[in-house]
Amino acid sequence: MDNSTHNTSELLVQYLDGELSGSEKDNLVRLLEADTSLNAELENLQLAREAVRSYGIKQQVAGIHQQMMDEMKAPVIKIGPTRRIIRISMAVAASVLVVFLSFTAYNFFTLSSNKLFADNYHLFDVSTVRDDNTDETLIEKAYKEKKYQEVISLAEKADGLEEEYFLSAISYLEMNNNTKAIEGFKEVLLLNRDVKSSLWREETEYYLALTYIRNKDYDLALEMMNKIQDTPGHLYYKKITGKLIRKVKMLKWR
Amino acid sequence: MEETIKAIYRNNFESLCWYVMNNSGSRQDAEDVFQEVVVAFIDLVKKEKFRGESTVKTFLYSLNRHSWLNELKRRGRALTREEKYGSGQDRTELDTSHLIANREGKEQVAKLVGQLGETCQKILLLFYYENLSISEILETLDYENEQVVRNKKYKCLKQLEQMITENPILKQTLKNLLHG
Repeated sequence: MDNSTHNTSELLVQYLDGELSGSEKDNLVRLLEADTSLNAELENLQLAREAVRSYGIKQQVAGIHQQMMDEMKAPVIKIGPTRRIIRISMAVAASVLVVFLSFTAYNFFTLSSNKLFADNYHLFDVSTVRDDNTDETLIEKAYKEKKYQEVISLAEKADGLEEEYFLSAISYLEMNNNTKAIEGFKEVLLLNRDVKSSLWREETEYYLALTYIRNKDYDLALEMMNKIQDTPGHLYYKKITGKLIRKVKMLKWR
Repeated sequence: MEETIKAIYRNNFESLCWYVMNNSGSRQDAEDVFQEVVVAFIDLVKKEKFRGESTVKTFLYSLNRHSWLNELKRRGRALTREEKYGSGQDRTELDTSHLIANREGKEQVAKLVGQLGETCQKILLLFYYENLSISEILETLDYENEQVVRNKKYKCLKQLEQMITENPILKQTLKNLLHG
C-alpha cells in the first residue's frame, strides 16, 4: 500500500467517524463520486464498524443471559386461560415500564469507567495527616507541590513505609499509570498485614477501589467497595454509596 | 442497560419460552431463541428502529416467533398446523421477520470480529460500541499518546475491512444481516 492509498484510507475512516471538516469532507465526497473502488472500501469499513457494534451487543447480552437463566430456574408450566389473561394484563403493565427503561437506556450508554472514576476521585490532601508541630517529609513536600515523578523517585529510595508507598501510588494515579498505582496500593496492604498495622489502610482501600474502576477491574473494585460498605466506621464509608456500586455493576456487564 | 435487559428477561422470558416449548422446541431452544430476540431488540432500540408504536411485549413476541420459525426452517421442519399458540393471529401480528437475522449470519459476525486480536477487539468495542473518545481509551489502555491509539484503531478497523474485502460471500452475509 503506497502512502497516498494509506492517506485516503485514513480519510475514509475519519469520514466514517464524523471527524472531517467541511472542506475535507467535500473533497472526499468528490473523490468518492469519481472512484468506485473507494466507494467499495467505504462500504466495507461501514460494514466493519457495524459488525463491531453487533458483536458488542451480542457480548453484553450473553453476559447477562446465563445470570438470568440461573435466576429463572423454575420450570415453565402451562397456564389456564384465566391466569393467562391476568398474566397478560400484568405483562402489558410491565411492558410500559420496559418501554420507559428502553428509552432511558441511552443514559446508561454514556457511562464509562473513566467518567465514573473522575466523578468520584479527589486528589488526596496530605496536609490532613500532619499537624503543625511536626515537620513534613521530603516526599510530602514534593507531593504537595505536585512533583509526582519526584515523589516516585523518593519513594523508591526510601524506607518502604506505608505512607511512601501510598503517596507514590497516588502519584502514579495522577500520571495515569493504573498498573503501577495498583501495585503501590497493594504494597501498603501487604505491609499492613506483615507488620500487623492499619496505617494508611483505609485511604488505600478507597483509592485502590477507584483505581480498579478506572482499570476496568470491576470485580476487584466491587470486592473492595463491599468491604468498605460493610465497615460503618471506615473513613470512606459514606463515599461508597449504593448508587456508586450499582454503576460499577452496570459497567461490569457492558 | 444491564437492568433494562434483566427487566426484559423477567417480564417476557416465561411467556415466550412457553411458545417455543409448545411448538416442538426444548427449554434450551427457548433460551437460545430468547437470547437472539433480546440482542435483536437492543440493536433496534439503539438504531432507533423501535419507536414504541407497538407494545414491547407484542414486538418481542413477534421477534420470538419469527426467530423460532427461522430455526425450525433451518432444521428442515415446518410448523403449519402444528403451531399451537399464535395461529390465527397472523392478520394482526407485526411483520418483524426481516428484523430477525439468521443464526449462521450472526455466528459469522461473531467469528469475524473474534478473529481480531484481543487489543483490537477492545479498542474497536470501546470506540464504536461504548462510544468512548480516543482520550478516554488512552487512559484505559495505557498507550503513549492519543495518536498511537488513533493509529491502532485505524489499523484494527482496516484489518477488519480487509477480512470483509477478501471474502465477498461473507460481505453479502454481513450486508443482509446488518442492513436487513
